[in-house]
Amino acid sequence: MRILVVEDNDLVADAIVRGMTMVGFAVDRAATAEAAGAALAAEHFDLAVLDIGLPGADGLSLLRRIRGSGSTLPVMILTARDTLAVKVEALDLGADDFLMKPFEQAELAARCRALIRRSNLSANGQLSLGRMRIDVTGRQLQIDNAPVDLTGREWLVLECLALHAGRVVSKERLQQAIANWDQVLTPNAVEVYVSRVRTKLGDAAVIRTVRGLGYRLDEPRA
Amino acid sequence: MSLAPDSATSIRRRLLIFLLPSLAVLMLAGVYTNYRAAMLFVQAAYDRRLADSALALATHIRITDREIHVDAAPQAQPAAGTEHADLPAPFYYSILGPGGRLLAGNPQLPTTQPGSANPTYADVRLATRELRLATYRLPTAGGTVIINVAEASDWRARPGHFILASTWLMDFIQVDVTLLLVWVAVHFGLKPLTAVRRQIEARSARELRPLEVAAVPSEVRPLVDALNLLFEMLSEAARSQRQFVADTAHQLRTPITGLLGHLELLMREPAAVPLQSRLAALHDELTRLAHSANQLLALARADPSANLTDKFESIELKSLVERVIEQHFDRSVEGGIDMGAEAQATRVNGSPRLLEDLLGNLVDNALNYTPKGGRVTVRSGFQDGRPYLEVEDDGPGIPEAERVRVRQRFYRLPGSPGRGCGLGLAIVEEISQLHRGVLTIEAGANARGTRIRVQFPPAGAPAANQPARHRETATSISS
Ligand SMILES: Nc1ncnc2c1ncn2[C@@H]1O[C@H](COP(=O)(O)OP(=O)(O)OP(=O)(O)O)[C@@H](O)[C@H]1O
Ligand SMILES: [Mg+2]
Repeated sequence: MRILVVEDNDLVADAIVRGMTMVGFAVDRAATAEAAGAALAAEHFDLAVLDIGLPGADGLSLLRRIRGSGSTLPVMILTARDTLAVKVEALDLGADDFLMKPFEQAELAARCRALIRRSNLSANGQLSLGRMRIDVTGRQLQIDNAPVDLTGREWLVLECLALHAGRVVSKERLQQAIANWDQVLTPNAVEVYVSRVRTKLGDAAVIRTVRGLGYRLDEPRA
Repeated sequence: MSLAPDSATSIRRRLLIFLLPSLAVLMLAGVYTNYRAAMLFVQAAYDRRLADSALALATHIRITDREIHVDAAPQAQPAAGTEHADLPAPFYYSILGPGGRLLAGNPQLPTTQPGSANPTYADVRLATRELRLATYRLPTAGGTVIINVAEASDWRARPGHFILASTWLMDFIQVDVTLLLVWVAVHFGLKPLTAVRRQIEARSARELRPLEVAAVPSEVRPLVDALNLLFEMLSEAARSQRQFVADTAHQLRTPITGLLGHLELLMREPAAVPLQSRLAALHDELTRLAHSANQLLALARADPSANLTDKFESIELKSLVERVIEQHFDRSVEGGIDMGAEAQATRVNGSPRLLEDLLGNLVDNALNYTPKGGRVTVRSGFQDGRPYLEVEDDGPGIPEAERVRVRQRFYRLPGSPGRGCGLGLAIVEEISQLHRGVLTIEAGANARGTRIRVQFPPAGAPAANQPARHRETATSISS
């Protein structure tokens, strides 16, 4: 997977380039919005990591240009400034995620992977999560290339959690996802289905319970 | 209307203090001149009647052969047609022939010196009585006959008293009505000021746009212009402080990001294995530095003057709780703490960013100070009509004697673990005050752990409920 890092600070850029390379990305770096624009026009990238505070044209104007050209390239925004307005503007302009400096290398890598996963999903209906391969359109789950059988409701639970992997999915949302117009669900039906999915996934993924809120599906830590 | 009339600076009071003595003097002068003018007419009318009596007496005088006779001596009565027939005035007369010979009447009645006018009038005294005397000189063939007519003066005083009383009454009513009109006029005159006051009251501390000047009367305009100038200066100061915070954040965070990134990479190098503990200590210290920078910036952000132009908006506390839990969930997993929510949907008027700082710091504390296996619950809810945010843990708790002190900047309980710098609860308190909230620190359920709650003002309270800080600022400006 090829990513473009647009960051003017050499120390930060170098750390990101090295760190992302180490975990398997192919990384290019641009120091200005202009250079980044040229690179994006010339070659294909799976994701751009964009610092807002660039000299000259800033990250937001570059983002505006990217979206203006009709590109759906996943964009991860980095910022050192903590004004809410900037965050809102970035998301409005079509940024896919937002990370505040300083961050941990692992966090950046995980978020970038999630973004690429999501963009692949919309491109070909495939979702890769650690050892799991989920074919959303074909409703197929493979763990280590072996198919796993899921009932209709179990599949809906897994799909909902996997699409938001790493994020908390509320119980109400899951309940809505599995609710059927002809059947009344008992309040703990969600728990029942989640625990069944948990068993079927084994150690390929962790489904954590967030008491009072819902569930979060995580890849097992390497 | 609450322009307290007892305050020394009340415009009404000043107007009244200024108007009352002048109006009183004017009233006295008015009563005096009215009385005098009325009495002049009364006097003239009575004098004319007296003169009529003298003329009536003159008809009794007959001249034969240069002899002067007085026909039938008239009764000592006033002229016919007296209205006060029921109150006969004591009446005196005398008719003197040439040389002062008494022809008829009272011999003791004095006479006046001839003057230019005929008849002439004078105030005289007969025995102990004050009299008004009219003297008519009637030239006849037998010489000048002098007719003196007099009536008691005190009798004339009666209409005088009446006039005096009625002038007093009228003038008194006039003064009262004038004062009442002044009172009412001040009320209406001050209405535009009240409108300006409402405009100001309806603002939150973060609203610094200029006041509307269109409806402001020209007398008040300079005041409003001065206020607008002040607002502009304040917004400018707020803008530059925000800029400063943003710049500082950038200056601090970017290099820390670079340093941390490289340190993490170094720690993964095989060659760094013997240096692991030193690198880890470095990493810890750098994380602490980043945390301190974040806390300092959060404190600057919470400063009432920093975010002055940020609009308060209606915020759903339940989703705030979910967001903050999501942000801290990894740490609870790492720390082996069961973190959960008991979130009721309720709304608060506030700044999303600041409330996130507030709840984030409470959760951060709970996760920091609660040992492994502990339980942390984040709540949002509604009690006595007031929304609240609450974080409860079953950790070591904060001793009762320390519950005020822990809110101070840079204060940490002795022996507190972790990378804290003692700013968290100060930030929480600052933001709570900015939202007119009340911060309480207590023990948790079964007297274990800590329960910290921020209770906000009742939902749907008028927009005029500015943060408490604003009130202070407002008074310090006006004083
Ligand atoms: N939930 C809690 N349980 C036990 N002690 C607490 C708790 N919250 C705060 N304290 C005590 O109060 C002190 C002050 O807390 P505060 O959040 O202001 O600072 P800090 O956590 O030390 O540093 P910072 O929040 O700036 O990282 C802490 O040092 C700790 O001793
Ligand atoms: Mg703290």
